[in-house]
Amino acid sequence: MRLTVGGLTWPTEGPARVALADPVVRGTVSEQPGIIPRIAAACIVPNRGNRGMNGQAGQYVAQHLDLGGGRIHVMRAGAGEELLFLHPAAGAGIWLPFHDLLAKNFDVISPDHPGFGESDRLEWIDGMEDLVYFYLDLLDALGLEAVHVVGASLGGWLGAELAVHQPSKVRSLVMVDPIGLDLPEHPVEDIFGMNPDELRASLFSDQELALRVIPPEPDLDMLMRAFKEKTSFARLAWQPFCCNPKLHLRLHRVTAPTLVLWGSDDRLVPLAHGERYRDLIDGARLEIIDDCGHAPLLEQPERTTEAIAGFHETLVGAGVC
Amino acid sequence: MRFFMFHLMPYPHLPADFDERESAWVTLSNSNYDPKVGTGLYNRYLDELEYAERLGFDGICVNEHHQNAYGTMPAPNLMAAALVRRTEKLQIAIVGNGLPLRDHPLRVAEEVAMLDVISGGRIISGFVRGIGDEYFSMSIDPSTSRERYSEAHDLIIKAWTTDGPFRWVGKHYRLNYVNVWPRPLQQPHPPIWIPAFGSTETMTWAAKNHYTYLSVFAPSKLLKRWFDGYREGANAAGYEAPRDKIGILLPIYVAETDRQAHAEGRQYVTWLYHKGLKHKFEHLFPPGYMTDHSWGRFLQSGLGAYSDVSYEDLVSQGYAVVGSPATVRERLAELATELGFGLVNALLHIGDMPHDHTIRNMELFAREVMPHFRAQRPAA
Repeated sequence: MRLTVGGLTWPTEGPARVALADPVVRGTVSEQPGIIPRIAAACIVPNRGNRGMNGQAGQYVAQHLDLGGGRIHVMRAGAGEELLFLHPAAGAGIWLPFHDLLAKNFDVISPDHPGFGESDRLEWIDGMEDLVYFYLDLLDALGLEAVHVVGASLGGWLGAELAVHQPSKVRSLVMVDPIGLDLPEHPVEDIFGMNPDELRASLFSDQELALRVIPPEPDLDMLMRAFKEKTSFARLAWQPFCCNPKLHLRLHRVTAPTLVLWGSDDRLVPLAHGERYRDLIDGARLEIIDDCGHAPLLEQPERTTEAIAGFHETLVGAGVC
Repeated sequence: MRFFMFHLMPYPHLPADFDERESAWVTLSNSNYDPKVGTGLYNRYLDELEYAERLGFDGICVNEHHQNAYGTMPAPNLMAAALVRRTEKLQIAIVGNGLPLRDHPLRVAEEVAMLDVISGGRIISGFVRGIGDEYFSMSIDPSTSRERYSEAHDLIIKAWTTDGPFRWVGKHYRLNYVNVWPRPLQQPHPPIWIPAFGSTETMTWAAKNHYTYLSVFAPSKLLKRWFDGYREGANAAGYEAPRDKIGILLPIYVAETDRQAHAEGRQYVTWLYHKGLKHKFEHLFPPGYMTDHSWGRFLQSGLGAYSDVSYEDLVSQGYAVVGSPATVRERLAELATELGFGLVNALLHIGDMPHDHTIRNMELFAREVMPHFRAQRPAA
């Protein structure tokens, strides 16, 4: 059985530990507090005219699941095959323009990882493997047999790990500038030690956009939220730094068709990581998004989601979609 | 009042363009460290600490910091070992050891117990977490720092107070045979000192355990809050915190006159606060080093960078005490009344202070200031 709210659907069945309470249709993203609306406001392109299949742009169903010992925030919109979006280390908790673009073709499910966005931190999660098992539970809780996965940066790494641990759960895999590989010759910049100026220069090609996402004078709420999310990120990525040193030994297990996307001006994670993912995953393709830094889904949402849509179209012919 | 001589053993020879560098920590290249100069410095600094015994101090403090110019004692137990055999009566406080920065807590338990036995029971064991920068320098996850600290502390205390061998099964440490040889001489274990930066969790925990609570560099109005928090913690634990378990870390410079003291001391105090304590903000406050709650409190405290506080404000707000013996006596008495401490960790070598000024500072402090507070002791 599926619950329909505001034209959007939501599953109401699942294991008993999942409490489905208070589904709401959220309005526009700018109504939400803290750092995230700044990102949203910075990234919304006016009059673009995109609309999800079931409703207006920016409309989604928000749900809190009781899972793993805490409340987990999940956003969902669109129709079609299920697509799990795995967010990067910053920017959780908000329905962004690229979500809408993905929701044109898919039923997009976008949880906030534990300790990010509006999700509680779960004390037992202090490494990537814990997060992988959390997500396997989350898929079970939502009754999802197998999903298309799109993940960015930290989320891309998580997507690769999911596809390694449970290949049958991942129908296709898109990684956007993922971290996760151990390439000592091509180190990931130390994002934990960066000041706001360095972050802007490192994350974005368009420095005007960077200034809107990371403002020069952040407010208290923003600093609080950033500290919380960086703390959760540190638990996953401080040591070993931004990688699983054994991941390269396991990527042959990935059976999903895989696309790796890379911002042409990513100054945080060298392109060599993308090339290595492409080489280690059987049949994977690597495409470059021009005029773009580490966050193509924020900086070039149309071109990035077009590349993803193009990849998914090739799957239809192959019988995956 | 008890008096300890505190030393940081800084490396004063910073590059000419230091003011354009982001920090004296983490990224300041060790190419700026000349080991030949270091030989002279270490031996001079150890001489200064040893001299404190002849001047009648109750104790001396060594300290732990990693990969920086501010303090060159990454291994405080080594410094304590050098001092144990060159002193006879002084207590030696190790402030260190940075428990989450160590791979194995039993190394701390063993080394401190060795020092306690060799010294005939003169060791004070500090337990610290290290500052934020050190989680970058050592690539240790700051978000598990508090729980590693807590577990390592519990393990060390049990190793010192429980006959071994015993088994330890914790989250971070799992050991089949805990059986530390030697056991410490002082029973049940050496006194514990806890330096802290105003975290509510730490002041409550220190008070609950009857540990000595030490402040670090901050204006006196903040120290008041911290010491009050410790006293409240003691009250909640059902006792009144004794003054001598409340310690202040205070840079002090005494010269013959106020004028001379400021003329000379300004450079030393500003080296300490504007150069040695120059941090990159993101390094000083790594994610998870504080709880979300403490981070919020810190943001709202309005506490800025040390390097933004002028020399005049450093002196007037209680970050340092500078002046003639009479002025220093008066100011110290004023602070003791205001803050209620009974232990002074006097930083009598400050920044780039040369040896002759350090010795004169120590002598003037020991002869002209300390006795005044000793006289009050019976009344306290």
